[in-house]
Amino acid sequence: MPAAPELERVPFTGLLVTFAGELRAAGLAVGSGDVLVYCSALSKLNPADLVDLYWVGRATLVNRHDDIAVYDRVFRRFFLAADEGASDPLTLMLRASAEAQGALAIPSTEPGESEHEEDAILGWMASDVEALKHKSFTACTPEELAALRRIMARIKLTPPRRRTRRNTPARTGPRPDPRRMVRETLRMHGEPARLYWRRRKVRLRPLILILDVSGSMADYSRNLLQFAHSAARSAGRVEVFCFGTRLTRVTGAMECRRPDEALERAARLSFDWDGGTRIGDSLDAFVRGWARRGVCRGGIVVVCSDGLDRGDPAVLASALERLSRLCHRLVWLNPHKGDDPGFRPSTLGMIVAAPHIDLLLSGHDLSSLEKLATLLPTLG
Amino acid sequence: MEVLGFPESVGELTETLRQGGYLADRGLATALFVSLSLNRPILLEGEVGVGKTEVAKVMASVFGRKLIRLQCYEGIDTSQALYEWDYARQMLHIRALSEHQVADPDAVDKLFGPKFLLERPLLEAVRTGDQAVLLIDEIDRADDEFEAFLLEVLSDFQISIPEIGTIKAASPPLVVLTSNRTRELHDALKRRCLYHWIGYPAAEREVEIVLIREPGISAALARKVVAAVQRLRELDLAKPPGVAETIDWARTLDFLGEPDLTNARDTLGAVVKDRDDLEVVLDNLQEITSGARGA
Repeated sequence: MPAAPELERVPFTGLLVTFAGELRAAGLAVGSGDVLVYCSALSKLNPADLVDLYWVGRATLVNRHDDIAVYDRVFRRFFLAADEGASDPLTLMLRASAEAQGALAIPSTEPGESEHEEDAILGWMASDVEALKHKSFTACTPEELAALRRIMARIKLTPPRRRTRRNTPARTGPRPDPRRMVRETLRMHGEPARLYWRRRKVRLRPLILILDVSGSMADYSRNLLQFAHSAARSAGRVEVFCFGTRLTRVTGAMECRRPDEALERAARLSFDWDGGTRIGDSLDAFVRGWARRGVCRGGIVVVCSDGLDRGDPAVLASALERLSRLCHRLVWLNPHKGDDPGFRPSTLGMIVAAPHIDLLLSGHDLSSLEKLATLLPTLG
Repeated sequence: MEVLGFPESVGELTETLRQGGYLADRGLATALFVSLSLNRPILLEGEVGVGKTEVAKVMASVFGRKLIRLQCYEGIDTSQALYEWDYARQMLHIRALSEHQVADPDAVDKLFGPKFLLERPLLEAVRTGDQAVLLIDEIDRADDEFEAFLLEVLSDFQISIPEIGTIKAASPPLVVLTSNRTRELHDALKRRCLYHWIGYPAAEREVEIVLIREPGISAALARKVVAAVQRLRELDLAKPPGVAETIDWARTLDFLGEPDLTNARDTLGAVVKDRDDLEVVLDNLQEITSGARGA
């Protein structure tokens, strides 16, 4: 090796590039720039040292904590081949978590033939829109649901605003704007003409939707997911989570422009679609994994669930108590509330949740979602 | 140019950091070494209190560089991160010029010259070049527009000031970014950085860390405290204690002259900082401290 380092480098680089390709195949976003950095970093180190090889790759090719497990797995397969228990430090460090495999059912979100019937439905919808508005989602035919979804896509969700610490030039305001003043003064040949002002900007609060996709909620949740999709596309910062027995973040899936594709991707992400409910554990997971780190700080959290919890109500109570302290406002959509104004929560989960909720709405039909859209900006 | 003790290998860097009072594991040392040799910023993520910020401080002190810290917060903007003109002095200067009827053609140029420029951390770091360690702390707290703005600085280490021109670092500073993962950072920013996740250290290493940070503490006490903290992390706490808390607790116990954890109840405030967590810990206190004694 020391005899001809230049020659040695060529096949070696090829190996590294192949490794990067393997990572890419495993789903990591590895750009060619990253590969360049990876190779030049290794040229400063001893590439025959397996530990260096491992850490340099991890520092240069991985840039998300969640990807580390994937990297570990590919590294082990690629460089350690069959030898699983290689050198000691590596076996200690390469602890790839077993990835859960689950069969999943992708719900058909849209009846197949609706595409070419769209015009007909839209025409019919216009005349019947008021009736449809108050029809509960469960009672709708698939065609009616498809029509509702199109209306829903047009509801704009506007979370309340808050003042930020950033300033912006304004006609009047509490703070002078020296930068503009100096510029204008120069323009006037040194004569300060008038005062310029700045005031604090306003910004939309983040909106966090946490949707129950368990069996008891399935009919509603698909529509709500659609609602979440249009919300994610209209409002500023929106995070979407789904839960049945465990919590899944589906914000990434919502970035798809086409709603059907977005819903399908979200369904693929949440393994427990149409399964059981563990609200307490799921919200607890949300509080621990996300809320504590500040995801919903100053934001509006909208939980949509019927409160039928199979878990321990104490877990739900403590999770909600924490959540209500961490977020700005907590809104709960319970489809079972329906249109009944004198609704009293009957499920144990709802009774436990009641003291921590700022606003309880139904969300079982279109008009109630419109109500949410109108009430949302007033929650500031 | 080995005057600054620029490390030759990962091992040497680890040793240098150890002398500075920081125990880096192989992964972190490798990442830092690559970052130093390739002049790439390094992004550190990890749980709270595992020593992310400390890395930058120690790197600055062991290599005799100047630590320039930019603490990010919501609403931070260019005038707080880059530079700002000294408007009050500019105004006075303009008044003075007009009163004395000075018709100096360079007067306006001088007005926007270095004399009236207030350096903020990023500009200062670019000017100081490789004599600086730039710490961009808690980048996840700044809003995402700020990240986009950091891109130019981090990829080219140059800053454009319209009135003066572009200022470029001759040799770039070491840049350490830290994030507590309150939100995902933009891929474009991450792509310009090396990435390292700092996790909780293993028990033996944590004992070493406590002893190196607080040399006055007896090894026996350190071992007991670490065993108890490791047990606390296994408990289902909302905010598990970090290494900083371990050190704090050991220091507290040592200050009070406690030889072990028999009176741990009174000093729990050093490690557990959440009321709900405190209840969980008090319920299991016997087990936690006795486990420590067994170890």
